[in-house]
Formats: sequence, structure tokens, C-alpha cells
Amino acid sequence: MNDRIASGFAPFVIPFVVGMVFVLGYCFYALVKILLQLPREDRVRFLRSLVTPRCIWKNVRDIFCDCLLHVKLWRRNPLLGYMHSSIAFGWFMLIVLGHVEVMLFVPHRIHFLYYPIFFNYFVAETSETIQGAALFFLMDFFLLIVLSGIALAMIKRVRSRWFGLRRTTRPSLLDRVGLYSLWSIFPLRLLAEGFTAHISGGSFLIVPLNWLFRQFLGNDMNMLPTWWAYSAALCVFMCVLPFTRYMHIPAEMLLIPMRNAGLTIRHPRRGLARVEVFSCPGCGVCIDACPMTVKKANTRDATVYLNRQIRRGNERRIEEISDKCLLCGKCTAVCQVGVEGPMLRVAQRATRHYGLEPDFSGLDTAPVQNNMERFEGAPEGERVAYFAGCMTQLTPGISRSVESVLKKAGVDYRFIDRDGGICCGRPMLTAGRFHQAWQLIRKNSELIRSSGCNVLLLSCPICYKVFREHYRLEGIRVVHHSDYFHELMEQGRLRVEKGDLTYVFHDPCELGRGSGIYEQPRRVLGCAGYLTEAEKNRRESICCGGSLGSLTLGFSQREDITKAALRNLTEGGPDVVVTACPLCRSTFRRYADRPVWDLAEALDKQST
Amino acid sequence: MKENVIILGGGIAGMEAARQLLLLGERPVIVERADHLGGHVADWHRLFPDKSPAEDLLEGLRPGLEGAEIHLGTTVSSLNALKDGYNLTLSDGSKLHGRALLFATGFELFAAERKEEYGYGIYNQVITNRDLERWFNTGKDSRLSGRPLSKIGFVHCVGSRDLKAGNPQCSKVCCMTAIKQAIELKERFPFAEVYCFYMDLRLFGKKYEDFYIGAQRDWGIHFIRGRVSEVAETLDGRVVVKAEDTLSGRPLKVSLDLLVLMAGMLPNPSATALARQIRLDVDDDGFLRSRDNLAGIIASNRPGVFYAGACTGTKTVPETLAEARSAALAIHNYLQDAK
Amino acid sequence: MTDFGYTLSRSSTVNLDEADRSLWLRLEKLEPDLRLCMACGSCSASCTAAELGGMSLRKVILDLDRGRDPAPIVSACMLCGKCSMVCPRGINTRHLILSLCRIYEKK
Repeated sequence: MNDRIASGFAPFVIPFVVGMVFVLGYCFYALVKILLQLPREDRVRFLRSLVTPRCIWKNVRDIFCDCLLHVKLWRRNPLLGYMHSSIAFGWFMLIVLGHVEVMLFVPHRIHFLYYPIFFNYFVAETSETIQGAALFFLMDFFLLIVLSGIALAMIKRVRSRWFGLRRTTRPSLLDRVGLYSLWSIFPLRLLAEGFTAHISGGSFLIVPLNWLFRQFLGNDMNMLPTWWAYSAALCVFMCVLPFTRYMHIPAEMLLIPMRNAGLTIRHPRRGLARVEVFSCPGCGVCIDACPMTVKKANTRDATVYLNRQIRRGNERRIEEISDKCLLCGKCTAVCQVGVEGPMLRVAQRATRHYGLEPDFSGLDTAPVQNNMERFEGAPEGERVAYFAGCMTQLTPGISRSVESVLKKAGVDYRFIDRDGGICCGRPMLTAGRFHQAWQLIRKNSELIRSSGCNVLLLSCPICYKVFREHYRLEGIRVVHHSDYFHELMEQGRLRVEKGDLTYVFHDPCELGRGSGIYEQPRRVLGCAGYLTEAEKNRRESICCGGSLGSLTLGFSQREDITKAALRNLTEGGPDVVVTACPLCRSTFRRYADRPVWDLAEALDKQST
Repeated sequence: MKENVIILGGGIAGMEAARQLLLLGERPVIVERADHLGGHVADWHRLFPDKSPAEDLLEGLRPGLEGAEIHLGTTVSSLNALKDGYNLTLSDGSKLHGRALLFATGFELFAAERKEEYGYGIYNQVITNRDLERWFNTGKDSRLSGRPLSKIGFVHCVGSRDLKAGNPQCSKVCCMTAIKQAIELKERFPFAEVYCFYMDLRLFGKKYEDFYIGAQRDWGIHFIRGRVSEVAETLDGRVVVKAEDTLSGRPLKVSLDLLVLMAGMLPNPSATALARQIRLDVDDDGFLRSRDNLAGIIASNRPGVFYAGACTGTKTVPETLAEARSAALAIHNYLQDAK
Repeated sequence: MTDFGYTLSRSSTVNLDEADRSLWLRLEKLEPDLRLCMACGSCSASCTAAELGGMSLRKVILDLDRGRDPAPIVSACMLCGKCSMVCPRGINTRHLILSLCRIYEKK
């Protein structure tokens, strides 16, 4: 293969070069801006991670799997997965192979940005080589793959249900421009290469196409216009990219290393949050996943719309969406990019200015201290402090069952908030009042330490999550009752008889997605009876609607959410709905047509 | 031949209506799901405002039912509207046809275990108004036997005026029932302290206020304005009740030997299900909708269907009996007109 | 103001003619549920912060209605959400408290 054009230049490359320079420039500018927005310690942490070998490997692997192969999407829906990975990976391979061709055959041209892209225009096949044929074959192969992906993308616009998407977002005007230019890039490339194949050579796709064209159009008049069109389509796509949902392509490549470096959202609009917002591809998977969208009026409160409104800077809507969310975390669980919708919202809540800022630093906890059951004497063996939490005060059935199970297993325990305690701080955290939350956490830590325990047992996953993540209780193991009871069974301290009831387990948001506990409660239930699974379970479990995460959803607005979650649980006809959260249990009980128990109650009935 | 008048429900509304219909020369047929007549009143010991025995009331109604067809222990499996009346299939498989239909289906007592924070079904010290009346009647209740009762509490509005319990309506009779029961307990345990936790005291009927005055003056019953929020068990076998003493504005705690929950009146779900089968209007509160709430309380939106008693809303005993009589008369007139 | 060496003790009457209900009126616009309170005391009875900090949402609402300053009471709220679980009128109590804190201006 040899150079066909001595100067190595043709005017039609100009639009492409303009687009490329613009998009690279923009991305560089955005990168610098975001790095500057990061708090200093986060920036250092991030940059350090970029030179840590373990992180580098993880970044490369994640970018390859998530951005190119879209592994998560394959799991969701193979057709959707194929569509995305064919376009992304196919295009990536076309670019890579283009560079390989240039390096192999015309290495002196490698410094031309556009050469690998328009390679077929600039070369002429003089003598057939194995290498050339193989590369041409691969180029045609990947072009075909990309084209199949584009065809699927077109079908998806009218038949999104085939791709497992029920509701999807409406693209904005610029999104449409981006979309149509993206769709046109590869057919135009096919045409351009097809018209040129008798000069440049080609493989199974473009050579027959070239033959076909020449039957009708026996001249080279079509060659240049199609190359121009191809270049123009690329230019349009790259120039609108920063202002469309396609910005997720570069943004995600930054998001992955940032997340691998362990950064968290500190501000709703700056730094990591900005990267997350721009990483949102606007696919709308979160719309169907969001428990609130059972009511049509709530559709526009899904995370994809939050991201859109943040991009547009619509403050009124950002506030509304931020306050309404139940913080169940399902949008993050299903999101292929992993945009942390709940964290964005909590960060937004934290920016709010309050005229009245409570101060708990001087809170006198003596009334709680005086009534607290505590361990006396030197610590020996396991000393369990059971902290029921505020909500469980309203569900004495749960605390009674927990106590009963503990007694049966012969556990040395104290019910430290039998007479009431102070709030764990999680509701304060989710309301975005971090300062007050930390004050409560400090006060509560003192109380718990003073109990003389070495295990803190919790039956409320809301408490459990905050104790696990935010409390510093050295020497005290924090454990949820589902986990602890499972252990008691494993150790043979609790004998469980299998009953004949069928259970379905509802994963509470804070326990499942929030703390990653899925299997222990199921194993407990499997021993106590017959376990069935709801259609949506584990990571995709549907929030009961009672969550304290939502600030604005009123009582009556939650009814439909609860009923939808119940339908999912009861479809398989279980005798009892079992959960492991006092709030879920109370919420479900209002509308359930069958008993709703806490795990402790189910276990208590079957154990000796 | 006389045509059937089918009465759904054999409580006091159904009994009184049947009695009056017989006097008017009609053919009433009572379908009752329990194995005895009398409905909720049969569970009760004494009735306000005169503390007259509930049994006396039923005793007065029963003789008048001779000649009425009564199906006990029977429910209605299906209900159809025909051109000339209504067709019923009963749970025993038999069929009934009636020219007119009277809903005397009454109410359902709120299941107190649904207000879990009050601990009914969890703590032995917590019972309901019905449990207490049954105990007055039978003297049998394992939760009450052999325990000295020195401190007793009553919680008003359990499952009434409570959106969270699914019933925002006032049940009307519980305030008065609580005072009556409080006095009855004082009669048995003169040295007990009795506390009534209320939000509003609604004592509107003849002699009700006298009862209230008597409870304060003669029996020294304490009235605390505040809704109970939580009940917990103490180590010595009592329950601690937490409320806010809204009049002093401070949290309040008291430990009790017995807590009586005044469970409210809910719509009877089986009545609602039957009403749906023949497209009767159901009101927002879940009770059957009368044609109007002044002069047409016993009338429905369908010809030949009449209401009496608590199927259209919470009612006292005298109201129920009065409605039963007026429904009987309306049915009689309806049948005369149809001829 | 001139110091006369003594002060007049403020009348303990709730004078609705002179009560400053501006805070209530502002909050009412954001939280129409405010009007639903029937002062049953469920919220304060279940309140985690009642015993420790004297929080009582019922009192806060009453104070607002009578033109008294609710700040000392509402500052004790830990936002635990028990009151929203028990309120028989279904008032979104947590949001009401947050809105109040938000519009409150230090006197």
C-alpha cells in the first residue's frame, strides 16, 4: 500500500480536524476545571491513584469493560448490550486499526491527526499483501459491527421495549443533532470507502459495494462528496458533543478513575458531582427503576432528569427533585455508569441555608444515661448491646422478638434503649444537615461506649447503615440482627425448626443496596420455612415508600408506591411478607392483605 | 303470595326491621353470618346511657321475630339485580329471591393490633373495649383473671380519626363507651385509679354529659388530654403508657395494670363487596352512601335497596333502631307501590 | 429606651390583637398542612427529643399560631421522623420543621 496523494492532504479533512481540535480542547478545559474544583486532599488522592499500578490496572480494566464492552448493559438486556458495545467497541477498533494501518504502511504520516480516519482515501493498493488484506478484512468487519449497532439504535427509537426499556427520555434538540450525526457517520464512511475501494482496495464489505456502484455510476465523481460528507458528519458530532448526552463518553472515562481513587461527592455541582452528571447517558433506565414513577406525575423526578436539570441550571427543579427522592438507591444500582443520584441529592440538600441551626453539642444525655441498662464489671466474652432505634419504639413486636431470640440463644445482652435513646443521626444526614448529624453521632457514641458492650446489635437498617459508616466505635462490632441471627444459627446456638409457611423477603433499601446484606436473611428464612423470591429482589428490590429519605413526599403520596412494592412481593402468593426494617414493616402493614413480619418475628416463631 | 324482603345482617338493625316488617304484614328473611342474632350488641354487657343490660334489649326484640325466616351461620356468595328484585346465592348453596333488600350489615370493629405501638396482641395487659365487655359478660379472660387492677387506662380513638390507621372518621360512640366502662371498672375496683386519654371528648347525646360529670364527681376518673403514642412493658408486669399531657405541655408517662383500647367502627368489608355486585354507591369514608344524609339516610341509589344502622356510618343504638323502623316502613310502602 | 430602674412585667395574656403571626403566615404558604393539626399530641408523645430537649411539634405549631417564638423548642428536633409515622392527620412533620428552620430569621 502506498501513498496516493503526495501532500498527504485533502481539503475535506478540515471539518474533521476542526471538530477534533474543538472537542479535545473542550475536554482538556473541562478536565482542568474539574480538577481545580476538587478539594485539595481529593485532588492529591486522585492524582496519586493515577500513578499507583494497582489503580492503573483497575482503571484500564474498568474503562475497557464499562465504556467499550458495556458489560453491565449486557446483563440487563443482551440486545441493548450488543447495541452499545457494537458501536463503542467497533468504533474504537476502527480507530485503533486505522492507526495500525498508518503505522504499518505509511509511518511518516502518523503525526497527521486525520490520516487514520481517512486512510482509504489517501492510499492506493499496489500489490496485495497478506497484512493489508487482513487489516482490510478487520476494518470491514468492525465497520459492519458498528453499522449493525447503528441499525439497532434506529430500531430502538421506535421499539424501545425490545431493549428492555419501558420509559425513556425525550432527547433535546442538540441531542437529536448529535444522534443523527452519529447515525450518519458510519453509513457515510461505508459509502465513501465503497466509492474509493477500486483504488484503495478493501475487503468483503466495500469491494462488492464498489463493484455495485460502478455498475451504475461509472466514474469517480461521487468519491469526494462522500468523503466530505463523512468528515462533516464527524465534525458536527464532535462540535455538539459537549452540549449533548454524548458527553458521557469522555466523562465516564474520567469518572471511572475518580471513583477508583475513592472520591465521594462533596458538592452537588462541583468536582466529582459534575463528572457524574455529565456521565449520565440519559438512557432512562432509572425512570423505570425509580419506585416513585408508579405515579406518572413523578416520572420527571428520576435521576436522569436531575442530571438534565443540573446541566441546565434549573434551580427550582433541582431543589424539587432533590427533596422528593426516597434515597432508595435503586437508580444507582441499575445505572450502567453508576451515577449516585441519592448522593447528588443529599449534597444538594446540604447546600441549603437555614435561619435556624440546631446545636446538639451541649445536649444533656443524662435522662438516657440514667435509664440505660448497661454491663458492669470487667469485660469478658461477648457482650451484646441491643439498640432498637426510634422507629422500633413504635413496633414493640420487633424488639420483643429480638429479645426472645437472644434469650433462647443464651446471649448476654442489654437492651440499651428500652426506655428511649437519641436518634442515630441518619435522618439528619439524609436531610443534608451534616453538622447536626455529627453532633448526634458523637453524643450517641458516648452513650454506646458507656454501655460496656463489645457488640452493638441493631434491628433497624437505617441505624445500622449510619453506625457502620460514620461511627467510630473502636472495639465494638456493629452488626445487624439478620447477620447476627444467621451467625447464631450457624454456631448452633439457636435451633430452628422448619415450618410450613412460605415467605417472601423484602430487601430494605438501607440493608440491601445500602449495606450489601442480601443472603443472610434469606438463609435464616430458608431454615424457618419456604422462601420464594419476588420478581424484583436483592439489588432491584422496590422501596416500600416509607423511607425517611424523602423530605417532601406526603403520607397520601406514598400509598401508590407502597402498593406497587407490595404487588411485586405478593405476586407469587407467599403466606407472609418478611422484611428486616421497622419502617418497611409499618409501611407495608398499612396496605398489606397478608401478615408482614420482621425477620426476628419469623425466626422467633420457629426457634427454640 | 307475599314476596320476600331480604335483610342482610341479624344485628339489632336487622332484628328490629324484621320485627316491624312482620307487624306490617311483610315476609322478612334474615341472613346472618354468625350463629346467633344480635350482632355486636350480643357481645356487649351494658349499654349507655342508662347502663341497661344489652341482653334486655335483645330479649325485647326476639319475640317479635316469630314467623320470620332466619338463616344463621350463612353468608351471601353472590348477589344479582333482576328486573323484579334481587337474587341471592347463599353460602349453603340455596337461592333466595327478594322484592326488596335491606342492608343491615353494620360495622366492623377496628382490629386493634393494627395500631402496633399500643401493643394489643403483644402485651397481656392490653385489651379492647369488646374484650372488656365480654369479660363483664362471661368473667372469662386469661389476661384479666387473678390480677389486682389498681391502675387502669383507656385510650380513646383507636383506629378512629387516624389517617395512619386508615380511618379519618370519628366513631362517635367510643367516648361515651369509655366513660361507661371506666365507671363499670370503678364499680368493681373502687380503689383503682382510672385514666382516660382523649383528644376531644365528644359527648353530645341525651344524658351523656351527666355521665361525664358523674365520672368526674362520683368516680374520680382522670381525664388526660393527649393521644397515647407508645406502650411498653415494664419488668414488673405492667405497661408504661407514653403520651403528651397537652394541657401542661409536657411528656407524660404512667404505668398501668390494664389498658383498654377503644377500637373504633370501620365499614364492613363484606357489605362493601356485596354493594359492588349490584353497583351501590360507596361513600369516601368506605360506608354505603345514602341517597342524602338528611331525609334519605335509609335510601340507596337503587330501587328496592334500603339501609339501616351502621352500614351507612357510625350509629348509636337508638339511631340504629329508629333507622330500622323507618326502613321497614319505607320497604312496606315500596312494596305497596309496586303492586 | 430610657432606663427607669424597673421594668413592667409583660402581661401573660395571649393577645391575639397584637400577636405577630407573620411567621405562621409565611410557613403556611409553604406548608398548608400546618392548618391540619388538631393538637392531639401524638407527635410530642412519641418524640425522641421531647425528654432531652423539650421538643414538641404540637407546641411549635401552637406558638406559631399565637405569635410566640418557636425557636427554642424546634431547635431540639433530631428529625428522626417518628412524628411523621404517628400523625393521625398525615402531616409531613419533618418537612414542616425544615421549612420553619429555613424561613426563620434570627431576631
